Amino acid sequence: MLGWLLSGAAGLAACGGDSPAGPRAQPLAVGTALAADQTVTRALQSAPRTLDPTLSTDVYGQEVIDDLFEGLTTIGPDGGLVPGVATSWETSADGRTWTFHLRPEARWSNGDPVTAADFLYAWRRQVDPKTGSEYAQALAPIVGAMDIATGHAPVESLGVSAPDPHTLRVSLVSPTPYLLALVADNYLQPLHRATLDEFGDDWSRPEHMVSNGPFMLKEFIIGDRITLEKNPRYWAAATVHATRVVYYPLDSVIQISRYMAGDIQISDIFPSDQFQWLKSQLGDQVHTGPYLGIQQIVFNMIDGPFAHDRNIRQALTMAVDRRVLADKVRQGVQEPAFTLVPPLVDYHQPIPAWANWSDVRRHAEARRLYAAAGYSPQKPLRVQLLYSTDPQNRDLYDAVAAMWRTTLGAEVEPYNEEFRVYLQDAALHKAVLLQTLWIGDFPDPFTFLQLFQSGFEQNFGGLSDQRFDALLAAAANEPDNERRYRLFEQAETRLNDEADNIPLLYFTSRHLIKPYLKGWHLNLLDRMPSRYLYVLEHQGR
Amino acid sequence: MLRFLLRRLMIAVPTLLLIATLAFGLLHATPGGPFDTAKRMPAAIQRSIEAKYHLNEPLWRQYLRYLGDLLQGDLGPSFQYRNTSVNELIKVGLPVDVEIGSLALGLAVLLGGSLGLSAAIRHNTRWDTVAMFLGQVGVSVPVFVVAPLLILVFAVELNWLPSGDWRYGEVRYLVLPVIALGLPYVAYIARLTRGAALEVLSSSFIRTARAKGLPLSTVILRHALRPVLMPLVSFLGPAFAGVLTGSIIVESVFGLPGIGRYFLTGAVNRDYTLVVGITVLYGGLIIGFNLLADLCYVWIDPRVRLDS
Repeated sequence: MLGWLLSGAAGLAACGGDSPAGPRAQPLAVGTALAADQTVTRALQSAPRTLDPTLSTDVYGQEVIDDLFEGLTTIGPDGGLVPGVATSWETSADGRTWTFHLRPEARWSNGDPVTAADFLYAWRRQVDPKTGSEYAQALAPIVGAMDIATGHAPVESLGVSAPDPHTLRVSLVSPTPYLLALVADNYLQPLHRATLDEFGDDWSRPEHMVSNGPFMLKEFIIGDRITLEKNPRYWAAATVHATRVVYYPLDSVIQISRYMAGDIQISDIFPSDQFQWLKSQLGDQVHTGPYLGIQQIVFNMIDGPFAHDRNIRQALTMAVDRRVLADKVRQGVQEPAFTLVPPLVDYHQPIPAWANWSDVRRHAEARRLYAAAGYSPQKPLRVQLLYSTDPQNRDLYDAVAAMWRTTLGAEVEPYNEEFRVYLQDAALHKAVLLQTLWIGDFPDPFTFLQLFQSGFEQNFGGLSDQRFDALLAAAANEPDNERRYRLFEQAETRLNDEADNIPLLYFTSRHLIKPYLKGWHLNLLDRMPSRYLYVLEHQGR
Repeated sequence: MLRFLLRRLMIAVPTLLLIATLAFGLLHATPGGPFDTAKRMPAAIQRSIEAKYHLNEPLWRQYLRYLGDLLQGDLGPSFQYRNTSVNELIKVGLPVDVEIGSLALGLAVLLGGSLGLSAAIRHNTRWDTVAMFLGQVGVSVPVFVVAPLLILVFAVELNWLPSGDWRYGEVRYLVLPVIALGLPYVAYIARLTRGAALEVLSSSFIRTARAKGLPLSTVILRHALRPVLMPLVSFLGPAFAGVLTGSIIVESVFGLPGIGRYFLTGAVNRDYTLVVGITVLYGGLIIGFNLLADLCYVWIDPRVRLDS
């Protein structure tokens, strides 16, 4: 996807002069009968903690903020990136300086022009320790960002400047090809300074908020709903069909009954154990697609039985029948994962050879390695596996433990902890086997590989592998994306050779969508902006 | 009477303080903090956020700060919903619960009361058996079964009513949550009323009244009703406090912005102030409604003296 994204972006930059492309919905086919009421009703798994783009850290906030604000780039109709407030951009030869050109017609919902200063203000606010943003490290690729966020440098030292109202220049620590994806995220969206100055922390309330996206915030009742209305001043307002968007935060099971009652048109997710039943009830209204995330088990690499024993790690990972997990435990909703990074365009997943072996051969090799590590029926491996409380996780890890028991004779006991307790114990490296879930921020291998980089906050296994780190460092300084990807492939191969993790399943996006709701496109980031959605004339619910 | 009220008030204050202290202590003792998220932040950023919420101070200091604010009626900022105060959340959630809760309990008293009373009057008849069987079913079937069933029948199949959501002043959004919340209470109150009524109806002053030739309806309304209400009142006091602070299940199933749901997500997310705030509110309501129940006794039973 990144390769596509970059070539697309280059093409757009080239033709930037005459008619800037942007987040326009595909033109409707002649004869498309739109419903009189263009209200789109959607579900979210949980209420966003805030709709302040700087402070929001959850995917629910991201979904709503995608409708309210627009960054330099933005999510296109098919989930790829398209120019947003920026019409074009150039990169310096070393890939470390980017210059964005902003469209002069971009407006805030109160009519003020959107300028480069609005971005500068928002980005500085993001890294300012006074703001208390929980994800200031999103700006880490920008020069000075981390020094400012950790209180070692003044905000003004951030490597961003606005030489004129329609030009924004960004200096990067190292070439960052995924910058175009980063600037579409809520953390880097512009803010209307006058509103923030006037209302302080209250600026993001419906009565005060000024936004620059296709919709404006009308109502935000925590625990009930969020209502947006079309922003007539949005620069591409003519292409937006929905006049109102209502988001309901609802538990995934409750979403199903709401959907079936016709009170929501598109659900956010459904539990995998409902998949077959939903298909029998709703047929082609059930949609699933790849989603940029992985569920895996990591080993404690600091101490315990796995830290210095490659054989036992390899034995455990080979003894897991991932296809059974995907097809039986997850009812075919999810895809088996044999390697860390999910499928990405132009990236060659280094899938280990044993993934394609017959079960018999794979199990035999796993048993051989298990024995080579010094374990036997008399002296089995006895460890615990920590996961976060969730009935569906329980089914999955019980199945994994059963596979280890039958194939190897290992006694692995899964146990669960409530999410916050689990997070704390994970950070303290308390478990020897630990479930982790990770959703990528942008379609790039780095977002997954960093999980095993020494010193990274989420490196829960505590792996510290110099060769792996060196490959990631080389990739970080590589301006050529193709060569960069090859380095990532080598790093991931190293991870697999050392059996440093047990990939289990890739995530899927799962939606119920009414046949009369159109304009959506399942995508890897599972972001479906409301600006492209429209409601066809229809009978009934 | 005044002395009684004063005495109760004087007990209420330390009780609430104790509740706040316990809730505060237990919550802070729970592993995991409000800003531990799946994306862990660099230590310096974590420190700056903790400083913003005074989480970097020693616990006793946080506690005193909290109590100070509490005494001024300020329940503090929510840790989960940034830039939102607990007072605001309660201001949004409480009216929803008050509306649904009082309607549900009102329905329960009317329906359950008359069901129980009529069962007692026709003691040991088929009517009694049927009413009590229904009562047993109502008590045994949990809300998390009733609520989705109501949605399935009335929203999904018949499409008569919305499957959830909340609009102030619109009756159709009220119907299903009120029924789901009220049903177990109907059953419980019916059984309670029947038991009390049986005892009262067999007592000698009722026999005397009937012997004087008073019609049954007069006997019940004039003489039997008040003593029958006694156990009901002691049940309804805490029950009211319970429904007013929200039913987690009913609110979740119908997607209502009530306090119960805030409480649940607050506990999951270690939203210290939100959970302590709602606990204190609940404690206050329990104390208040128990007091109200005691005052009702005086009105119901002339033998009750509060000042003794």
